[in-house]
Amino acid sequence: QDIKERNLRFAFSLAKDHPLGQGAQKFADAVAARSGGKMKVSLFPNAVLGSDQQNLSAVRGGTLDFTSMATGIVASLDKQFMVFDLPFLFNDAKEAYAVTDGAVATRLLDGLQAHGLVGLGIWDLGFRNMTNSKRPIVRAEDMQGLKMRVISSPIFIDLFTTLGANPLPMTFGEVYGALESRAIDGQDNPVAVIESAKFAEVQKYLSITRHVYTGMPFMMSKKTWDGMSADERKVIRDAAAEAKTEERRLTQQKEAQAIDGLRKSMQVNEVSEAEMLRWRQKVQPVVDKFSREIGEGVVKDVNAELTRMRGAK
Amino acid sequence: MRSLFHFYCKALEALLVLALALMVVLVFGNVVLRYAFNSGITVSEEVSRWLFIWLTFLGAVVALHEHRHLGTDMLLARLGPGARRACMVVAQLLMLAVCVLLLQGSLTQMRINWTVAAPSTGAPMAVVYIAAVVFAASALPMLLVDLLALFKPAADGAEPLRRSAAARPLRRRRSAPLGGELAQRAGAPSRAEEQA
Amino acid sequence: MTITVFLGSLLGAMALGVPIAFALLLCGVALMWHLDLFDAQILAQNLVSGADSFPLLAVPFFMLAGEIMNVGGLSRRIVNLALTLVGHVRGGLGYVTIIAACIMAALSGSAVADAAALAALLLPMMVAAGHDKARSAGLIASAGIIAPVIPPSIGFVIFGVAANVSISKLFLAGIAPGVMLGVALWFTWWWLVRREKVVPPPRRSRGEVFTALREASWALVLPVIVVVGLKMGVFTPTEAAVVAAVYALVVATCVYRELPVSRLYAVFVDAAKTSAVVMFLVAAAMVSAWLITVAGLPALVVDLLAPFMDNQTLLLIAIMLLVFFVGTAMDMTPTILILTPVLMPVVKQAGIDPVYFGVLFMINNAIGLITPPVGAVLNTVAGVGKVRMDEVTRGVLPFLTAQFLLLMLMVLFPQLVTVPASWFY
Ligand code: NA
Ligand code: NA
Repeated sequence: QDIKERNLRFAFSLAKDHPLGQGAQKFADAVAARSGGKMKVSLFPNAVLGSDQQNLSAVRGGTLDFTSMATGIVASLDKQFMVFDLPFLFNDAKEAYAVTDGAVATRLLDGLQAHGLVGLGIWDLGFRNMTNSKRPIVRAEDMQGLKMRVISSPIFIDLFTTLGANPLPMTFGEVYGALESRAIDGQDNPVAVIESAKFAEVQKYLSITRHVYTGMPFMMSKKTWDGMSADERKVIRDAAAEAKTEERRLTQQKEAQAIDGLRKSMQVNEVSEAEMLRWRQKVQPVVDKFSREIGEGVVKDVNAELTRMRGAK
Repeated sequence: MRSLFHFYCKALEALLVLALALMVVLVFGNVVLRYAFNSGITVSEEVSRWLFIWLTFLGAVVALHEHRHLGTDMLLARLGPGARRACMVVAQLLMLAVCVLLLQGSLTQMRINWTVAAPSTGAPMAVVYIAAVVFAASALPMLLVDLLALFKPAADGAEPLRRSAAARPLRRRRSAPLGGELAQRAGAPSRAEEQA
Repeated sequence: MTITVFLGSLLGAMALGVPIAFALLLCGVALMWHLDLFDAQILAQNLVSGADSFPLLAVPFFMLAGEIMNVGGLSRRIVNLALTLVGHVRGGLGYVTIIAACIMAALSGSAVADAAALAALLLPMMVAAGHDKARSAGLIASAGIIAPVIPPSIGFVIFGVAANVSISKLFLAGIAPGVMLGVALWFTWWWLVRREKVVPPPRRSRGEVFTALREASWALVLPVIVVVGLKMGVFTPTEAAVVAAVYALVVATCVYRELPVSRLYAVFVDAAKTSAVVMFLVAAAMVSAWLITVAGLPALVVDLLAPFMDNQTLLLIAIMLLVFFVGTAMDMTPTILILTPVLMPVVKQAGIDPVYFGVLFMINNAIGLITPPVGAVLNTVAGVGKVRMDEVTRGVLPFLTAQFLLLMLMVLFPQLVTVPASWFY
């Protein structure tokens, strides 16, 4: 086997004990195991090497080997990635996994080569839910007037504006302080993130709205990839597939646990099917507007995949 | 050459003032809008951060020209003139090398980020790297001129270093307004300034 | 080996006279070489993203606010207020210095600016009244360093960003320890001047006190706005800074009318340039911080400090001595920038509250401004007050000792910091 001694670096902004961090660890272990210990992957969690945007630039330039971040940020390279951020696109994780492993997603990941990246699959951060300090959010109208931190992405800003909230883009690192000092009322994130960022300490209400699914493309520097032998690439590909499966399993497991854990300190509420329908109606203009922007073709393809899947059930 | 740099820096100063004033307007405007009208300028955060990056790099060029970057001359002050000059030549060469690397690196990053759209304005992320390119490209000739000045024999022969660029900031820095203002009022010489 | 490369390249370049920002970049280059990942992009990326931070926008705004307030005549009114209040007691001018320093600290984030104002306004009066010149200069220098401990504080902003600790919390936690530094000076001064035969100026009339208070009240409102605004979550520290700048601008141009619009340009230029110097240093530190992290240097330091890890007090004493030692030869901003990425992982691992640590670290860094051989505040007082460096150094010694002892008390009794902090949160 043609495998060299290599020290590779993998940076991301989540914590080491978050499912994504555990998935990264799994990847590192799998690479070591499959290469007979020759290829080592060091992990840099908690954004210690910089923000997602910076890591993306570093991987593209080849000063970092791996990173994983939300599709919304990868969309700064190719806005087709925003398709996965459309509100209420997926009904459950099963659908999300099928689509992010499907033909459209594979095409998008392959397209990253033009930007100096090798896409190795899309990991799972989970469905986003709302937290805030004012009231339980049940109806879409409950969003009215809330000062919500959003990730700095046009689709999120538009979504929250349409819901009547006051969206404030802010880096993740500043959110806890802003919530604590009540400079903002709330934020949205998957429950595992809400738990590991300890937002329960500064937020009273958790509302299970599942309004957007967040996939996490796992990407490698094309520069590093091009310098590897076929055997080495196989090690990476296989380890990445193994890690993705494990990461998704951990995310599922964590999601159930986290909601139970958060119940102890937060008031948790679900949203009924009927209300959900009204949410969907209310955000339809956002879906329409961004479908045009993303490119009708991709959106149609994803919807076709979903329709096929739902019909098969 | 130094007077050319001088005019260049005066022009940069005007840009600095513009950037700082815009930052004040954007951030203060956002506070007012949030409380008075419960709304905000969504691009305010991104634009003010970018102005800040430009302010940092353009200001760093001016500071390089005026020798205001913080440093220490603890060792240099204890050396004889010959050894001191040798140290300063090495220092100047090292700074030149860093700026060459920086220019190369920021050009690469600029190209990489040419098509990356910033989240709220949609402007290319390359804009921030251009600031670093401008810094490195401006710093190189300034450092080079300072280096050459080190090899010129001093007119009075006594203190060749004082007039050279590399005489370090603790001695030569202009004082910031308050220190300067009050110092002048008290009839004292301008002194070093630190932003603690 | 990594530690040797890090320290060797950094200190070596600084010794040659390379400015610290460039020395940090060179240190980054040396580490890249050492780690065998030489790539010029690393310099560019980290330098740019080091400057790319919304919280750090507080730096130029606080600088701007400070410059406007100083040029606009606020410092003079505050010193005048303190004079009418306590000028007449025995050794009164010393207490005036301490009170004025504490109030000015609540307006400005810069020790050097405060010390310069105090030295220019009060030192001539103290000497004329018959106080020992070296001792008076020493008091002024040590009172000046209260500025970065009481909010607003540029030091706290930079530390907060580098260590990822809430700047609002650091600000609020700094208030009481800052006042304690003043109290420590108060007792030291009282002890030192108890035998001096100095006739204090006459007591001012109630009318004069009232006038001074009214004049200074515009300045006194500002700290209230900042502290209440931060505590109630009305704004973030960055926004507090911009509010301070705009408020100072309005007071200086419309109320005091001491800042003609024609001078505004120069004020903005100076604020922008001083901010750029600080920020370029911050950005350059990000380059070496990135490589320190990739090299796993913090883990090495944790190993090195392993014997202290399970005793927080011992660990803190060790760290404080290290910071004090570094502070003798280096000024505040670079010390914060160089030590934070190395020390923070240690502090976190040992389970020390980062806000509490931040306050101790800031006080220690402030003390570094008055320790020889490199002490920016010592230089300033010596220059503005026309006192010899060795005289100021001699004069500052008792006050410096009192402040360092207070710092050690805070290490031994964390409640001194944490309990008052909990009142303000
Ligand atoms: Na202050
Ligand atoms: Na010192």
